[in-house]
Parts: sequence; structure tokens; C-alpha cells
Amino acid sequence: MMSSFKPLPLATKISTPFWQALKEQSIQLQQCNSCDGWVFFPRNHCSHCLAHDLTWKPVSGEATLYTYTVARVPTMAEFSDESPQILAVVTLKEGVRMNTTLVGLQEEDIKVGMHLKPVFDKVDAKGNTLLRFTGVDSDLSVLEYQDPLVNLPKNSQGQVQVPINNLTALNALVTDDFSPWSEPLTVDQGLINAFADLSGDDYWIHTDPEKAAKESPFGTTIAHGSLVQVLQSRLPLTLPYEIVGFNTMVNYGSDRLRFPTPVPAGAKIQSRARVKSVASTHKGLQLILEVHIHLVDNDRPSVINELVIFYR
Amino acid sequence: MGLLGNAAIVGAAQYKPEKYQTAPQMFHLEQVADLANQALQDAGLGLNELDGLVISGPQFHEASIFVPAMAAEYLGIEVNFAEVVDLGGCTSVGMIWRAAAAIELGLCQAVLCVIPARMAPLAPNEDPAWMAEAMRYGGHSTAFGAPEAEFDIPYGHVGQNSGYAMIAQRYAAKYGYDPVAMAKIAVDQRTNAQYHPDAIFKGKTLTVEEVLASKKVADPLHVLEIVMPVAGGAAVIVTSKEVATRSKNRPAFVTGFGERLSYKSPSYAQEMTVTPLAQAAKQAFTMAGLKPSDMQAAQIYDCYTITVLLSLEDAGFCPKGEGMKFVRDHDLTWQGDFPLNTHGGQLSFGQSASAGGMSQVIEAFHQISGRAEGRQIKDCDNVFVSGTGGVMSEQGALILQGG
Repeated sequence: MMSSFKPLPLATKISTPFWQALKEQSIQLQQCNSCDGWVFFPRNHCSHCLAHDLTWKPVSGEATLYTYTVARVPTMAEFSDESPQILAVVTLKEGVRMNTTLVGLQEEDIKVGMHLKPVFDKVDAKGNTLLRFTGVDSDLSVLEYQDPLVNLPKNSQGQVQVPINNLTALNALVTDDFSPWSEPLTVDQGLINAFADLSGDDYWIHTDPEKAAKESPFGTTIAHGSLVQVLQSRLPLTLPYEIVGFNTMVNYGSDRLRFPTPVPAGAKIQSRARVKSVASTHKGLQLILEVHIHLVDNDRPSVINELVIFYR
Repeated sequence: MGLLGNAAIVGAAQYKPEKYQTAPQMFHLEQVADLANQALQDAGLGLNELDGLVISGPQFHEASIFVPAMAAEYLGIEVNFAEVVDLGGCTSVGMIWRAAAAIELGLCQAVLCVIPARMAPLAPNEDPAWMAEAMRYGGHSTAFGAPEAEFDIPYGHVGQNSGYAMIAQRYAAKYGYDPVAMAKIAVDQRTNAQYHPDAIFKGKTLTVEEVLASKKVADPLHVLEIVMPVAGGAAVIVTSKEVATRSKNRPAFVTGFGERLSYKSPSYAQEMTVTPLAQAAKQAFTMAGLKPSDMQAAQIYDCYTITVLLSLEDAGFCPKGEGMKFVRDHDLTWQGDFPLNTHGGQLSFGQSASAGGMSQVIEAFHQISGRAEGRQIKDCDNVFVSGTGGVMSEQGALILQGG
């Protein structure tokens, strides 16, 4: 499976100070206490003398352009929104070189050896920041994160309409925050009995309230896990988005289905969901919608269902 | 120090380069055995004479560890020397000198150097995603903790095109740039390809105007200055002098080599326009006791035209910064005064993954042994061969001489 999201740096224990500093609009490099050499990329040792004695220090970010290219074919599909990419290698005043891209410059004004200054580019809502560069005369010093969903139209329900081909916006749907709760629904014994008839699963723990009162660890009958799962259809979700521009949408099943907490007969359930991941695959756009069904006022979900939905 | 020149290439085989979609699929072990058989027949040697094996390990389909043992078992041989070479486009050159060194050390008599580069059939449930992933990132590691994953890829520095383009742009700023001379490298090699029956671009000529009119991929590189990946595969037999004398062909003795790895991401090169080949070629010529002007042909790794240009300079065929003038002043075709990549180079013969570089080794051997058919150059005794892996990050040189 191919991820369709732009790859972000995954900081290691060694490199965390560098990325953390960028979030705070500061550039920190390691300097060797033994030979005074500057080190980039971050390491646990000095790349000049091998001493394991480095200190993080703030630097100005003043740089010169070592070389660059205008990539007219995106180096990965994920970068097509910034095409052409002006890829560059810069030499910082301290002598270290780093990979970056140039922003805020016209192609014809770019010259190897030109002086550059840093631009802190906040690339996501979490404040992750990449270090880009621009000309010294440019006003640019910070690029604020632009939520790619902000400028998209909304439908009559107030849902943002995300085109199937807008990978950046689609990926902005991925979130740790769940949608608001659905309206509640009572799972009464009648529903449970109807499901027992339909499925053939008439095990006493679901269908015999008297025996369940005496022998069940729950003191009552409980709904079938599969029943609670299918009741999702009666718990309409209020998702903040509508994906538009596709030909077909297919429910491909579930990556993960769990029933962690039983639902006693007569209990009220409600549900909520979040987009867990979006990826483009050979089968089309794969969206994983993580749906949770809870007993009302219970923190533990009764159903966890990671629905795999393909759009193409 | 170095080789005595007592080991020689005596046989070779390579699959005709083909588009991946239409090339036959074969297990890598199958390819190893098939290529070995063809190369041994070419040499006039028997399987029982093989006692060394050098193989390309990365992306071997049937195993990621114990690859040489598995291949030796499949071939039905026992060996005294086994080696996996992982140098990208420099793998072929790296294989040949390792085989020659093992022979000169007396470890073995006849070494098979083999690179399967056709697709292997996938198991019914096998997910080709890992391969797609590896190809997508152009050899960059995406593993947690890999500097490339952290400091290259998030900025879009992915794949080979932009890396080579940045080297070319730096070169242009330092020494100037002549797009016509760069195009001529591709054009002269395309001319050569018309004389090789297996070249992927045989029957398709090329002009400077066409190169310059082709799509710019990453400034200043045009698409016709960049290799097209194809399926293929290659094998070479390197033997001792004693075995070489019994071979069917005039042997090509390995009299000098050099190898240099300078970095992984070219951004961290001391100076991008000075390639690792500068050191590698110097060592190779010194070892062989020869100089660039003693060569009758050069088979130079050519993933991009800029690779050829910098290699010509750093190998010492012309002074630094004068590569474009050199290209303008010389006829680089097989009939010209500086025969370069007489099979068409990978640009026009075809680049079959890490077997691509073996096409240069095999062409040198064919020229020396007088079997280059319609493109045979006269009195060919000394040939320079280079290999380049990564983004000019790992390079090697060979001096091959007729015995």
C-alpha cells in the first residue's frame, strides 16, 4: 500500500532538538566541544573528529545556495501540488550543508552562490516545521499552516466537500478527534430476539432473561456483538466531510473488529467516528473510518470497527 | 599494491534488455543458473570448474539472507569464495575486481559474477508493495533513523533525477554548461546502439535537436539524457590465467581497479562536482601502469549524460571543467577517435537495474576479445570501465587488457 500523504520527518531521540527548535522558529545545530566543528545532520558523534561531545547551539540560518534544480516532474506524486519543486542544497554560515526547497523566489532570480535566509514552514496543524530558504530581500520568514479544508465549499449539511483527487485535503481529514455522538438508540430484548431469529444464534445469554438473571456474569441478557455492530446503520454519524467526484464507493470490510464491552438488554448506545487514514492504492482511494459504538456514558467502546472504504 | 593482472574475464552472457511488461518472468535462481550456463558456454568451460560465486544480494527475490549458499546449491556447485555485492550501479565493477582478487589470492580458479534482473513471478498472495515502495523512493531508505528518511524525503529530495540534476547545476555554475555537448553524449551513444543487435533502441536514431526538445525532468536534464529502466540480467566468468588459456575467447585481464564510496546523499559530498571516480580511476590506472591516453575505448557508466561528463573528467581523459569541450572535439562513436560506450551505453542499450553496469564490462570484454561484430574497433587491447551507484556516491573503475 502506498501512503498518499507527504512524508514528514520522524524525529529520533538524537534529532529531536533540531525539529523541536524549528517548531519554535529557531535553528539549532550541534557543535563539537572538542574540535569546534559543526555537525549536520544530527548525530551522537562529531563528524569531524568522532568525539562524543556535542552541544546544541542556536544559529542564524544565514546560508548560501550550493546548488538547486527545478524538478518539473514531481519527485513523488505527493509533491505535485508544489510543482515545480525548487529543490536546493544550501550551505549554512557554519559550513554545514542541508537539503531544502526554495520558496518565494522567481526561477530566473535563483543563482548558485546567492545569499539566503531561512523560512520556517509550518506544515501541519501540530506545528511540525520544515526549514526552507528564500532570498535575503524577501519578506518571508514564516509560512503559517494553511488548513487545506478551509477554502473548500460546503454542502447543505455544512459538510466540507473534498474532491477525490485532492490528496492534501483528503489527508487533512485524518484526525485523532472523533465526530460528535450520534442520537442514542435503545437495544431492547425485542431487537435481540429478532436478531437471534434472523442469525440463528439463540444462545441463552442473549435470549433467556430468567436464566441470564441467575447465571450470566452480567446479571442480564446481552446483545450479540454482531447485532450492535449492524445497529450502526441506525446511529447516523455526523461526519464533517463529504467526499465528492468519485464514480463508486465500496465498503471493503473491516481492518479490525472488536467487541470490548457487552451491551446489556435495554441499554442505550451511541456512536462516533474518525478518519484514521487515507491512502491511494491500486484499488483506488482507501479511507479507513474508525467507528466506535459505546453504551451512553461509558468510556469503553462496545464495538470498535475500522471500516475500509474504497472510492474510485 | 594491487592486482598482478593474473585474472581474466573469459566468458559473458546477458539477457537482451526488454521492457518490464513484456520480458519473461523468471525466478532469480532460475536466471542465475540460466545466465551461468550461457556464460560458461561462452567461455567454453564446464560447471565443475566454477569454485567462486559473486552475486547481487539486494532485492534477490527468493531470499534476503544466505543468498550465495542458496544460489550455489541451485547451481549444484561448491565454492571456496562467495560474496554479495551491494553497490547499486557500481555492483558489476565491484564484482569483477573482487573475483579477480580472490583468484589472485589463490582462493579459487573460476568465479561466476551474476546479476539476475528480470522480474521473478510473484506468489499468488505475494504483495508486490515492498518492491513498489523500494522503486518509488529511488533507493532512499525510508527506515526509521535513516538520515534520508528524515532530512531528504520530507523536502522532496527523492530519487536519482533531482540529485544528478543538482550536480549538473552546480557544475554549470562552476564551469559553464553546453546543452548541445551534453545532448551529443546521448546522440553518439545512440549511434553506437544501431550496431548492437540487442540494444533496446536499435533502429531508433536520435538527434541533438530531439534531445534538447525532449521534456525537461529536472533542470538542466532532459528526459532523453536519462536511462529507461528495463528488465535484463548478466553474468561474467572470471578465471585464473591457467584457466583463461584454455578458454575459447581472447581473455580480458583485470590489471587495475579502484573503488570509492563518498557519501549516500550527494548534499553531503565534500564537493558535488568532484566524483568518487577521481580516486578510483587514479588507483586503477596506477595499478595497471597505464594512463588514460593508453585506452582504446572507454565504457563509462551512463545513468545520465552528466554522469558520463564528470566521469570523463575525473578519470583523467580531459582536464576538470573541460568535459564539454572534450565531447565537442571528439567523435564518441565506435568509429570515432574516442570510442565511448560502443554498445550504446545504458542510455541506448538499456539499463537493467544493477545488471546495467555489467553491459559496460561485457562490451569491454567483447571489444578486447574481438567479438563486437559490426561495431568492432581495431586493435583493441586496453579498455577503461566504470561503474556508478547511487547519486554518484559509489564509483569504481576497471582497466581491462587483452592477453
